[in-house]
Amino acid sequence: METLQYTIRKLIYSIPLLFGVTLIAFTLMVYFGPDLTDSILGKNPTAEQIADVRSELGYDAPFFVRYFMFLKEVVTFDFGSSMSSGEDVRSILARTVPVSFAVALPAFILSNLLGVGLALLAAYHRGGFWDKFVMVFAVVGMSVSYLMIVIAFQIIFSTSYGLNWFPVQGWIDPPPDYPDATFFEIAYYYWYNYWLYVTVPTLASIFVALGYNTRFFRAVIVEELNRDYVRTARAYGIGNGTIMLKHVLKNALIPIATRIIISLPFVIIAGNLLLEKFFGIPGVGLVTYDAITNGDLPVVKAVVTSTAILYVFALILTDIAYKVIDPRITYSK
Amino acid sequence: MDADTTDQSSGTSAGQSLWSKSARKFRRDRFGLASLAIVGLYAVVALGVWLGLWGQGWSTLGEESFAGVSGEHWFGTNLNGQDIFQRAIAGTKTAFEVGLLVAVVSTLIGGFLGAIAGFYSGTWIDEVIMWLYGCIDAIPFYLFVAAIAFALEGFPYAMHVAMITTFWSSTCRIVRGEVIKIRSLEYIQAAHAIGVKPMTIILRHVSPNTFHILLVQGTIAFVGAIKSEVILTFLGLGVKEGVSWGRMLTESTQDVLRGHFGNFLAASIFLFILVIAFNMFADALQDATDPKKISS
Repeated sequence: METLQYTIRKLIYSIPLLFGVTLIAFTLMVYFGPDLTDSILGKNPTAEQIADVRSELGYDAPFFVRYFMFLKEVVTFDFGSSMSSGEDVRSILARTVPVSFAVALPAFILSNLLGVGLALLAAYHRGGFWDKFVMVFAVVGMSVSYLMIVIAFQIIFSTSYGLNWFPVQGWIDPPPDYPDATFFEIAYYYWYNYWLYVTVPTLASIFVALGYNTRFFRAVIVEELNRDYVRTARAYGIGNGTIMLKHVLKNALIPIATRIIISLPFVIIAGNLLLEKFFGIPGVGLVTYDAITNGDLPVVKAVVTSTAILYVFALILTDIAYKVIDPRITYSK
Repeated sequence: MDADTTDQSSGTSAGQSLWSKSARKFRRDRFGLASLAIVGLYAVVALGVWLGLWGQGWSTLGEESFAGVSGEHWFGTNLNGQDIFQRAIAGTKTAFEVGLLVAVVSTLIGGFLGAIAGFYSGTWIDEVIMWLYGCIDAIPFYLFVAAIAFALEGFPYAMHVAMITTFWSSTCRIVRGEVIKIRSLEYIQAAHAIGVKPMTIILRHVSPNTFHILLVQGTIAFVGAIKSEVILTFLGLGVKEGVSWGRMLTESTQDVLRGHFGNFLAASIFLFILVIAFNMFADALQDATDPKKISS
């Protein structure tokens, strides 16, 4: 009952945030955004046609009327059709989100797991050789540009100047039509091709994310190590390793999990513009990139707004999850 | 600002402000000093380009495209026969332009709004500012830049505006937290008691005690800005005129597939050394200016 109350409160308090996010998206992209009349009508429209389209798009309506038109699009999740292909934005997202998810997932899991592992190693040897080694590595990782790593990894793994193990770019083609291919043959085909195209992007994004993750996780763990209960546990003669894994990590999990959950919407919906554009992977990132370059407003509008809203809901979800995990948390303002 | 902080660091011996103690601590940090020297060197290079002393030949078209490394062309030439080393030097100026502008403006905005939010915490002013950065943080950075580019179509500083409107939020958050602590200190209560106006208290008595945060946040914003420039330029949202490391790396994505690594190496080396020096400088600065670590 209390959890339900807490949930409802959280939801109510998220309304201003949702309102603000949609207002920003609307003001930037729709109100001050490009005038779509010309691209819809093409060459030599009559004055009457122009007036029709303008009133249909709401260009002659006042700010708040247009904002409510936009909110209606958001609530019904109907952002119209892409300007360049004419495809419904919903079906574009349905097609591309799984691809982005498939590309981002291995790197997302590995960079967080490795980050926590390295952070534990560094915090355990605080001030010692391994700590310094890991932290130097983290600063180097934080200092390289994503684009630079992507190019370097492409040279190393995908060109004849390096190992030439993987294709330069691209994505899984539909399987060739064997008349009597078994289920396993097709599954193997997809599995094999998936790793063929996903390995290099994954390595590059792990490299870039790991430095930031490790530094953040180490700071959290070190802070936890300075607490009284750790001293008490030591006084009881509990081994350092046990303290680290059973007590410190457990207590540090809340900030760690927050960071991971909050980054999820960005990883999945926003896709990764740079990675997908560079490797020609047909996910949300590439579609968004194309939409940005072509001024395809409905697509950009849909991606920006839905990512932002999902982020707000991820925030609420983490709060509620903690409430369930740790009943001591109450609503305090 | 020295005078202000000296007053407040009571308990230390006379004439020793927190800043002079920080400076002494920083001088003992070898990595910090080395990184500051490297940043300084880059700054001189950028200043020289700005004054027209060197790096002026970056747009001169040469005879030979993709010439190899030679005494004349230290990193060879690019597709148009332009000297890559000159372009990397000229790119330093662009990096400092973007970095300085974004770092200074976003940190000042964040510092000011953070001080106000912290000072008025618990009131509607604080709520509004928190709401504002909550909204900004909810929109993914690259998409936010794209949205701003839509709104400011054709405006050459759309990238700068976008970075400033997103980067201030982290400074604001940290300054706000610090000011909430400062607000309850006795000297602020004393200022209230003798009837100093709230704005004067914020600007003269509270803000100077957040300068160390602003300094560190400024260096972090600088690094963020030059790294984002590269990605945004590659995505077609960044620098469109002139030369920058982002443009060089973007050109190099085509070059490397044909086996020409000049652009890639030059831009990468210039960018990496500056960013790692700045990151180490930020760390050293944070260590040196953290009041908790100094006064102990």
